[in-house]
Amino acid sequence: MKRTHWWGRVYLLVVFAVMYTPIVYLMYYSFNSGGAMHDFQSFTLKWYRDVLSDDRLLMIVLNTIVIALLSAAIATILGVMGALAIYYVKQQRAKHVLLALNNVLIVSPDVIIGASFLLLFTIAGIQLGFKSVLLSHIAFSVPIVVLMVLPKLEEMSPTLIDAARDLGAGHWQVLSGVVLPFLAPSIWAGFFMALTYSLDDFAVTFFVTGNGFSTLSVEIYSRARQGISLSINALSTLLFLFTMLLVVGYYVLSQKGGRVYGIGGRK
Amino acid sequence: MMERTWRNWYLVPYGIWLVLFVIAPIVFLLYESFLDMDGHWTLANYEKVLTPIYLKMMAYSFWYAFLITLVSLLIGYPTAYWLTKTKHKQLWLLLLILPMWVNLLLKVYAFLGLFGTYGLANALLQTLGIGARQLLFTDFSFVFVSVYIFIPFMVLPIFNALEELPPSLIDAARDLGASAWTTFRRVVFPLTLSGVKAGCQAVFIPALSLFMITRLVAGNRVITLGTAIEQHFLVTQDWGMGATIAVVLMAAMAVIVVLTGTGRKEGSR
Amino acid sequence: MNGEEIIRFERVTKEYDGMTVLDDVSFAIERGKFYTLLGPSGCGKTTILRLIAGFIEPTQGTIYFHGKPIQNVPPNKRQVNTVFQDYALFPHLDVFENVAFGLRVKKMKEADIRRKVSEALQFVNLEGYERRRIQEMSGGQRQRVAIARAIVNEPEVLLLDEPLSALDLKLRTEMQYELRELQRRLGITFIFVTHDQEEALAMSDYIFVLNKGKIQQFGTPKEIYDEPVNRFVADFIGESNILPGRMIEDFLVEFAGQRFVCVDRGFAPNEPVDVVIRPEDLELAAPEAGQIVIRVDSLLFRGVHYEICGYDENGNEWLVHSTKKAEVGEIVGLRFEPEAIHVMRAEREDGGE
Repeated sequence: MKRTHWWGRVYLLVVFAVMYTPIVYLMYYSFNSGGAMHDFQSFTLKWYRDVLSDDRLLMIVLNTIVIALLSAAIATILGVMGALAIYYVKQQRAKHVLLALNNVLIVSPDVIIGASFLLLFTIAGIQLGFKSVLLSHIAFSVPIVVLMVLPKLEEMSPTLIDAARDLGAGHWQVLSGVVLPFLAPSIWAGFFMALTYSLDDFAVTFFVTGNGFSTLSVEIYSRARQGISLSINALSTLLFLFTMLLVVGYYVLSQKGGRVYGIGGRK
Repeated sequence: MMERTWRNWYLVPYGIWLVLFVIAPIVFLLYESFLDMDGHWTLANYEKVLTPIYLKMMAYSFWYAFLITLVSLLIGYPTAYWLTKTKHKQLWLLLLILPMWVNLLLKVYAFLGLFGTYGLANALLQTLGIGARQLLFTDFSFVFVSVYIFIPFMVLPIFNALEELPPSLIDAARDLGASAWTTFRRVVFPLTLSGVKAGCQAVFIPALSLFMITRLVAGNRVITLGTAIEQHFLVTQDWGMGATIAVVLMAAMAVIVVLTGTGRKEGSR
Repeated sequence: MNGEEIIRFERVTKEYDGMTVLDDVSFAIERGKFYTLLGPSGCGKTTILRLIAGFIEPTQGTIYFHGKPIQNVPPNKRQVNTVFQDYALFPHLDVFENVAFGLRVKKMKEADIRRKVSEALQFVNLEGYERRRIQEMSGGQRQRVAIARAIVNEPEVLLLDEPLSALDLKLRTEMQYELRELQRRLGITFIFVTHDQEEALAMSDYIFVLNKGKIQQFGTPKEIYDEPVNRFVADFIGESNILPGRMIEDFLVEFAGQRFVCVDRGFAPNEPVDVVIRPEDLELAAPEAGQIVIRVDSLLFRGVHYEICGYDENGNEWLVHSTKKAEVGEIVGLRFEPEAIHVMRAEREDGGE
């Protein structure tokens, strides 16, 4: 199984080169004093200074982070409850219906989610802006958390709950002492997923954001439509580094989680 | 039994979410699709969807989504296959997924530079002696960028399916005299079909409704259902028509999901 | 039964989705004895355990604990603890915290928890393992942690749900001995579920043999082994020769075409019966000296004895455990004492003494 043919290696190499070229390209030209994404003239940090002195942009970054953290936290709580709700539903039919409904937002294209949420907020009379964006992000993150948590829950041996009750634990103690600690790695994974979905989302936000409020994705879109500006490159380099931090955090957590799941799965 | 009463409490917040953000939006979309721009009941939107302009647009949408899915599969399957054979496959997989975490808009934006008149792609073409040409705002750039965006979603499920394949099956096939190619064709590929299905679903459905890639790198050359919805909702403010297209798109997707079996997707977008 | 009664089942029935898994069962459990529920999978033995633990409620009938019905008392309020088949140890807690779980739930003082946990671990020979992770423990050690976690709560009844089934043969034999010892030292009631008849015979004071949701027979291991009440019990409790026969009169039974003197009585004249003869009660002899003559069909060396299989002239199959060897195809005689003949009423499915 360990043999890789040389053409296999070359193929992978080409794929990886293509995958990373745009990202490296972006970062490389963020240091170009020339002002375009070609003809590298000389090294400059001008674009970074521009980004860091752009108050409007920094405000948008802050908005984006606040939305991401808040929506991920709330979606995680709702999602864990959702997973527990589905887990405890004993009739297979009802379970399937709940799961299908849960997955609607995951399989729906962003454009439709965005358009339908826009309709929803308009009909409900919720003003477009921070509130509508936060609600949308919570809404589309919930099913992701459910899907991250539910398999671990199903993997958990039901005798674990029996054992806790047998040892005298009440419902709340079973939940806080056994179920939640067991699920902890998957809950964290769900939180991180929700976080990245929120940070990454463009289409839904684009529909439900009003005039006064903007997130990074929407801002980049409107700037990119006006053509190339190397401050976007600088911003993307900073974002890339930030994302790397998140990925490493997520990776460490999921590695740790893997060990714990290993036992949960043992029968 | 006593459990019933307390367990149902979890259903309350989750049920509220389901009703507000899953059921209500669908109902509103359906409702809106029967309204004209003045808010009167009408079937005109559905009549309009059946006119040649919209039918052609739908056909285009499906054609491009199909093309993007096919190319993703053709590139993604070998990638997944050889990934499973590398030494540190988890690390390589992580490296492949990493670009997924870079903001989608930024990746698309990067191609504005890469495919620009003086960009890297054209420089490469020139050194190869083919000569520079217009890349941006063509069908080619649209498909290329889309495949670039979607490839991890294709590779992941296939990789997982390949990983779940017991190695003893391959040994057994070889033991029974099958060549490497026959083993792949008769054993490996059929058994990873579930991953292929999941990957195709994960690419095809979002590819049907792309709009920002279209807007940014395809100019207005390619109009998909996604762009049409965005146009109607945010530009011309004809929500009824936008909702109608959305309903048609959802119906089409439901058919696809049913046809390909309800495999769970590894991610959306 | 003469000791103090702890648990009593009165006409308990349990149905799942219209399937009856426990059918009108009544019995009583005394303090300080080792009980085994023995039967094939699906016989209802685990259901009884779960009913006692309180994870499920009976569809009909009443369960009494010290004479009081315990319907609607949740598991966390019952004076019983369970050792689960897969141990159900909490993977996120270490050995100490697993054992301490029940005590912490009761909000016991930290010092008391420490003392009790270390006592319990000592009881199962696991002192020094307090801070080990569960994943670092072997199967046998996990088993002991599970037992310690249950007994630390000082239950009146300890329920054990096939706790040895995941262990290998050698460890299983060791644990059988240890469990028996533990029960004697603790002096509390053990209710042990298994499908392994050897385990049941080796460990129990009393055995319930169950099949299809009904108790087939209740008794000491010796009673069950020597006097099975029906074909199912005889078959399940060990390898047997079971032959159809007829009770001519008291102390005289007819089977395999002949009449034999036996020690059974109390049957109606000419009542159809099943006759059980254990393979180890049969002795090889010369053909002319045998009460039954068989032709040896196959022969297996089993270590302590030969397992000989043959057929008599009526076509009945006979299984013999003998230290003497025979050749395949050889004609041999079989001898047995009247005490070796166990007569049971034929086609009698429901049991009880």
